[in-house]
Amino acid sequence: MKFQLQHPVFLRNVSFNYGNGLLLRDVNLLVDYGEAVAIMGRSGAGKTTLLKIISGLLKPTGGYVEVFGCPMSFGCVKHIRRRIAYIPQNLALIESETALYNVLLARAPNKPLRFITSLWSRSDVEEALGVLKAVGLGDKAKTKVEKLSGGEKQRVAIARAIFQRADVLLADEPVSSLDFDTAEAIVDMLISLKSKGITIIAVMHDRELAFKYFDKIYVLENGVLK
Amino acid sequence: MRILLSTFITLLIFSYLLDVANPLLWTKLGTNAALFLSELRIEWGVMNDALFAVYETLVISLFGVSGGVLLAYLLAPLASPLIMPPAAAAAFRTLANFVRSVPAVVWAIFFVILAGPGPRAGALALVIYTSIYLIKFFYETLEAVDRELYNSLKVMGLSGLPLAFALYTHAKRHIVTQILFMLEYNVRTATILGLVGAGGVGYYIAHYLSLLNYSAVMTFVIATLALVITIDLVSYAVRRII
Ligand SMILES: Nc1ncnc2c1ncn2[C@@H]1O[C@H](COP(=O)(O)OP(=O)(O)OP(=O)(O)O)[C@@H](O)[C@H]1O
Ligand SMILES: [Mg+2]
Repeated sequence: MKFQLQHPVFLRNVSFNYGNGLLLRDVNLLVDYGEAVAIMGRSGAGKTTLLKIISGLLKPTGGYVEVFGCPMSFGCVKHIRRRIAYIPQNLALIESETALYNVLLARAPNKPLRFITSLWSRSDVEEALGVLKAVGLGDKAKTKVEKLSGGEKQRVAIARAIFQRADVLLADEPVSSLDFDTAEAIVDMLISLKSKGITIIAVMHDRELAFKYFDKIYVLENGVLK
Repeated sequence: MRILLSTFITLLIFSYLLDVANPLLWTKLGTNAALFLSELRIEWGVMNDALFAVYETLVISLFGVSGGVLLAYLLAPLASPLIMPPAAAAAFRTLANFVRSVPAVVWAIFFVILAGPGPRAGALALVIYTSIYLIKFFYETLEAVDRELYNSLKVMGLSGLPLAFALYTHAKRHIVTQILFMLEYNVRTATILGLVGAGGVGYYIAHYLSLLNYSAVMTFVIATLALVITIDLVSYAVRRII
């Protein structure tokens, strides 16, 4: 069952609360394939929460969420996973392992035995190395992630999303801890994924980068997306 | 202060009941200690037996650790609500907690009955004992893994055993430390298991003790101590490297 309707992400009147008052009140969002969307807003506005709702990690308190044309409340979570990559603020890489290991990890759901035995096929390894090269880490594939710089780690996370063949990439503040030039290079790389038809939804703090690179910019304020 | 006083009084009562307060006992302890010390030397005649027994103890412990690690690796995810439905995980956890309350010696007796006396029984007992302990260590380790890592792996589509393995890999250093701890523990326990006939040095020590052959006992004790110290040093060295 593969849902391939018009919009990869569609939210209508979504509300959410953690049990301490409404955080999201009335969020509407419609995203097209291959679109790059930036979400801005002050700290604590609920941006991370919104990404978690889109990825199915949190259930909205009210409203309707549809991903790849499949309503979330309809047991679609299983189908849409694998097609979404979620890069949290702290990147969630396995630091004690190499960049290559972290990229290959994205194929563990399809090839669990190869993952558990670490006996990857030659073609998988070559593809992963190719992706790492494409993000500029050709010579760091065998380096442990804990020895990489912040920008390099971010690239590993992006490489993993590409290797996962995700259709939607959710990135939470992908460049907030980087200097401007590195940040711009990373954003440029994220945006270049559009040519592969990948949809990008990123939480951004830097106005300049957001306006320069993204197709649409939303601001989350008082629980509403504008 | 009141607690101290009442404990002291309780102690006096129990000393009387156990006959520990008897002054004759203390003089006897003294003469026995002198006798023991005068016998204290290594008896080279039993050294070969001692080395063999220590080797057997080592093999039993290593078998127990490797079998236990394998079982725990596969079973610990069943006890984790991150991997299993929470109710199933809770049920498995309760079962594991219950089984864990059985001491290693009881497992040894059980396997001596099932498999006959000898190192086989000790080895099987240690596999069960180690695995049931490591299951607890491992599921607690899984629980402690960073939530965001767990979230992004889940969104990536990982679940079940592969998800558990990715989380294990993340906590690799912690896991190795726990395995080494179990190895140190197993070597000590394996020396005792011989007392119930489950192989290893314990069997010989009990034997020579009943013959009052203290120098032979001493030889086995020293060989055992050498093994325990070696294992601890190896484990310390491995911990430094990782
Ligand atoms: N698990 C939780 N339980 C209760 N409250 C939470 C939880 N997670 C987040 N919150 C609260 O919800 C609010 C929004 O959090 P969220 O992380 O979505 O904000 P954000 O817009 O991503 O902020 P930032 O820019 O600082 O990352 C915060 O006030 C936070 O304290
Ligand atoms: Mg946030």
